[in-house]
Amino acid sequence: MSRLRTITRRSFIVGSAAIVGGVAFGTYLYKRDLKNPLLEGLPPGAAAITPYVKIDASGVTLITPRADVGQGAYSIQAHMIAEELDVDLDTVQITPGPPSPVYYNGVVGVEAMPIAATSETLLARTGRGASDVAGKLLGLQLTGGSSTVPDMYDRLRMAGAVARETLLAAAVAQTGLDRDQLKTEAGAVVLPDGMRLAYQDLAAAAAEMDPVTEVTLRDPSEWRHLGKTQMRTDILPKSTGTQTYGIDMAMEGMVYATTRTNPAQGGDIMGFDAGRAEKMRGVQAVLPITGGVAVVADNTWRAFQAVQAVDCDWGPSPYIGDTAAQFEAVAESFTDDRQDSRFRDDGDVSAALSDGEVLQAEYRIPYLAHAPLEPMSVVVKLEKGRVDIWTGTQIPRFMQANVAALTGIDAENVHIHVLMSGGSFGRRLEDDYTLRAVEVAQQMPGTPIKMVWSRDEDFTHDFPRPLAMARARGKVSEGQIAAYDLAIAAPSTAESQMARLNQPVFGPDIAIVAGAWDQPFAIPDYRVTGHRVPAMVPVSSWRSVGASGNGFLHESFMDEMCHAAGVDPLEERLRLCTHAPSRKVLEAVGEMADWGADLAPAQGRGLAFCLSFGVPVAEVVEVSQTDAGLKIDRVFVAAEVGRVLDPVNFEAQLSGAVIWGLGHAMNCELTYRDGVPQQDNYHLYEGLRLYQTPKIEVRGLENGGKLRGIGEPGVPPAAPALANAIFAATGQRIRELPLSKSVDFA
Amino acid sequence: MKYLSICAGLMLAAPAIAQDDPNRVEGLAAWDRIFTVTAHPRCTNCHVGEEGQPMWQALGYGPDAVHGMNVRAGESQIGAESIPCDACHVTSAAANTVPHAPPHIDDAWRLPPVELAWLGKTSAEVCTQLRDPETNDGHDIASLVDHLQNSAFVNWGFAPGAGRSVPEGSLDALVHDVTVWGAAGTPCEGD
Amino acid sequence: MELTVNGTVHDMDVEDDMPLLWVLRDELGITGPKYGCGIAQCGACTVHVDGLAVRSCQLRAADVNGNVTTIEGLGTPEALHVVQAAWVEHQVAQCGYCQSGQIMQAASFLELNPEPTDDQIDAAMSGNLCRCGTYPRIRAAVHSAAARLRGA
Repeated sequence: MSRLRTITRRSFIVGSAAIVGGVAFGTYLYKRDLKNPLLEGLPPGAAAITPYVKIDASGVTLITPRADVGQGAYSIQAHMIAEELDVDLDTVQITPGPPSPVYYNGVVGVEAMPIAATSETLLARTGRGASDVAGKLLGLQLTGGSSTVPDMYDRLRMAGAVARETLLAAAVAQTGLDRDQLKTEAGAVVLPDGMRLAYQDLAAAAAEMDPVTEVTLRDPSEWRHLGKTQMRTDILPKSTGTQTYGIDMAMEGMVYATTRTNPAQGGDIMGFDAGRAEKMRGVQAVLPITGGVAVVADNTWRAFQAVQAVDCDWGPSPYIGDTAAQFEAVAESFTDDRQDSRFRDDGDVSAALSDGEVLQAEYRIPYLAHAPLEPMSVVVKLEKGRVDIWTGTQIPRFMQANVAALTGIDAENVHIHVLMSGGSFGRRLEDDYTLRAVEVAQQMPGTPIKMVWSRDEDFTHDFPRPLAMARARGKVSEGQIAAYDLAIAAPSTAESQMARLNQPVFGPDIAIVAGAWDQPFAIPDYRVTGHRVPAMVPVSSWRSVGASGNGFLHESFMDEMCHAAGVDPLEERLRLCTHAPSRKVLEAVGEMADWGADLAPAQGRGLAFCLSFGVPVAEVVEVSQTDAGLKIDRVFVAAEVGRVLDPVNFEAQLSGAVIWGLGHAMNCELTYRDGVPQQDNYHLYEGLRLYQTPKIEVRGLENGGKLRGIGEPGVPPAAPALANAIFAATGQRIRELPLSKSVDFA
Repeated sequence: MKYLSICAGLMLAAPAIAQDDPNRVEGLAAWDRIFTVTAHPRCTNCHVGEEGQPMWQALGYGPDAVHGMNVRAGESQIGAESIPCDACHVTSAAANTVPHAPPHIDDAWRLPPVELAWLGKTSAEVCTQLRDPETNDGHDIASLVDHLQNSAFVNWGFAPGAGRSVPEGSLDALVHDVTVWGAAGTPCEGD
Repeated sequence: MELTVNGTVHDMDVEDDMPLLWVLRDELGITGPKYGCGIAQCGACTVHVDGLAVRSCQLRAADVNGNVTTIEGLGTPEALHVVQAAWVEHQVAQCGYCQSGQIMQAASFLELNPEPTDDQIDAAMSGNLCRCGTYPRIRAAVHSAAARLRGA
């Protein structure tokens, strides 16, 4: 493809992202204050100084609009506000707040654009700005893409500062003292004589004032929360069984429902006989829903039992239904007419690989389920033109719109109450489970319906990470990597997922090549091409999205080329690296792992690197061969996020990402037969368990630059670092995941 | 624990019998049928010997492997040092109906004595082990038959439920074969 | 049937074969024990019967033959059990959904074996699945709790 065409495509996608919301009005809307949803129905004497801080007689409530799916989002958002507001977090309420455009995500859209995180070109800066505008216009109240920290960092500290200064202004008015004579501490304004005016006692006065909007944020050297060891706000409830998840919600008159929908993906239900089920104890109704049936009972287990007793006549799946055929469709997509992108095309790869010895390899990665431990669950109450929904979700605004469209009830009467999620990993970027529960509620108006999926219903109705294949070619010369041509074929996540959110998608799908095209290496002839496989079973975002698999594809062949060139994989990456923070990450992990030091003969050490979500991460895995199989001994991780705001959770997120990446690489795949997922519970889909968990050492680098999120970027290097370590220990090069198809693990 | 201590004076070691003795031929044939049962994964998954690590073979899914979750029976043979078997394999007389759930019986789930290792053993090895009270948990033929008929484990082995595979034959046939084998003087291949 | 949960006796009218998990969650409103898999693969439903850890999704209501303790009965936010205190100290939880089961398993384990080896901890805790990958801190917290229980 010509360079011109590449540029045109880039421009197109950036342009269309902005045009979606009406670029002509962009600047106007961007500057307009969005409506503060907290002002609605606010009682007298209460203040909602910003959309993130509400103060009434009962105390201070902080609004943390990004969903907590286990990554600690509520806690870090609360700490950001508290850093400026001066409140003790164990004395305030923390809630995710209502769905509202004011809580737009101004960062996540950037990941959908072909702008390398390392790029500071005009195009890159314009594109990032466009995402902020588009996010605001679209009201993308979305949690994902490791965007919470970078997106909320300024906004929430600003919200805390505005609220603090406004309360101080109220105190000035009340006491006649100067602003400079007052300070704030632990939820109160403190007067020079030590007298304390609690924020809630100043709320009524503050509510009458124009907020103070000119504030100066504190210098990090003054921080008391951020950057310091913090106690996550949810640790105590989660250690005592007192945290309420979606599945724990209960209310007066509530009934218990479950669904059974066609396990053949996208297949319909042709008919059903509920005769047996209806006679079972506790069963109140057997109801038709899209693609299947629901049972409503007085107990979840009774609903589970009864739904299995419904005789269902399933229609066929409209998709390619068998995994071997699915991979064939992928293999057939390495063609010019299925080319989706070529964002990286340095030098002249075709010429470089036209003669001499060319290294070639083909790789495969499988579909993967999210399978969060809390199965899909939701409580819905529909009555008199109003719907209330209690559930864990990353997409409250989209859910609101989809429920409104399904029921014909105005979106403003669709109330989403976001609860803590028992994991997600991207699963709760979908709202299918809520829509099914709403269908039940429509048939039982006035009755609160708690719908819980069985584990097998959850597994067989996931929206998996798509499968993919890569064909890699390369050339080494004089002990160096000289040319790298990587072609990746995969179905489009964006095309499938955005259609369900009623969002238009334009241009190439960045996910097909994310984590591969944008790596900071100056290989003279270097090309990364994405091929779009025609849509098959519905797919969606899975922790670290496209990079989750592309890291394995890109870094495995890098390792192969290093070995072919006879060059040390760390030395070669350092030589090729064009991005200073990435180089520091590589150097750090080398030092941590004592890279180059001798290992026992049965041991091996593997390195992988991936820059995703703007975060360079390098990982070294050490394995050893034992009589029982391969054992992962140690993992070293270095990552650059600009600034580590919560060191304790930073380590948790990175070690969790390593465990997620290793476990799925070792053991997991989702395969299909006749459109039916063959893995329906954890006995067939087992991530890492404690006994296989290696010692993990984490280091966060803070070499300036932009602030980044850390929930996802630790995932992509884990699988290739492990596969490269296995090669180092055994000489066996594994090009297909899961690795357990090729080797045994102890 | 229901396993008996060694009963002295009940040695069953095979007497010298002519190779072509029809009794012996019948006894060896009975033993062959017994061995198809003792060699079935329904039995060998727990009769694992000193390693104390139960097996997951022929579960009806997945490759054959050691019991998942790093389960170890420990010296106690019931997992008391780490996680007791009955944390998952509860004690219940109810039928096993849920596929892929841990099976339960009306007894405390546990591994058999270490010396009753069957996994990977030849027919002759298991045969000589089972006729010797020193290595068969102290049984003579009568008490062995009684054990077969009354053990919740053995009964479960022939009716494991939830679609699990079953050894050939039946519990009655096994009891009959053990009786015949005993009456023939517990012959083993290579005597 | 009668069921004693966290010291309170309940007179239950449920099927013999309703798993204890669903008696607790949907009949008694005790939601600390979680449903994750229904086949003892994940351990999120772990409770104690007479102090011993058991997967409540496997135990039929009619087969409960002792006093049931759930995470709510082990300790409270105001009065933490030693194991819970270790879980807080190490900030183990991420999504937290598996942690009730992890804590109940660990508490029962340390009761049986107050001086566990590393291998025994790995064996005891490997039946409890954590999708977030909190295992390194689970390991550390079990060690801390064991040390504290020994008075170290």
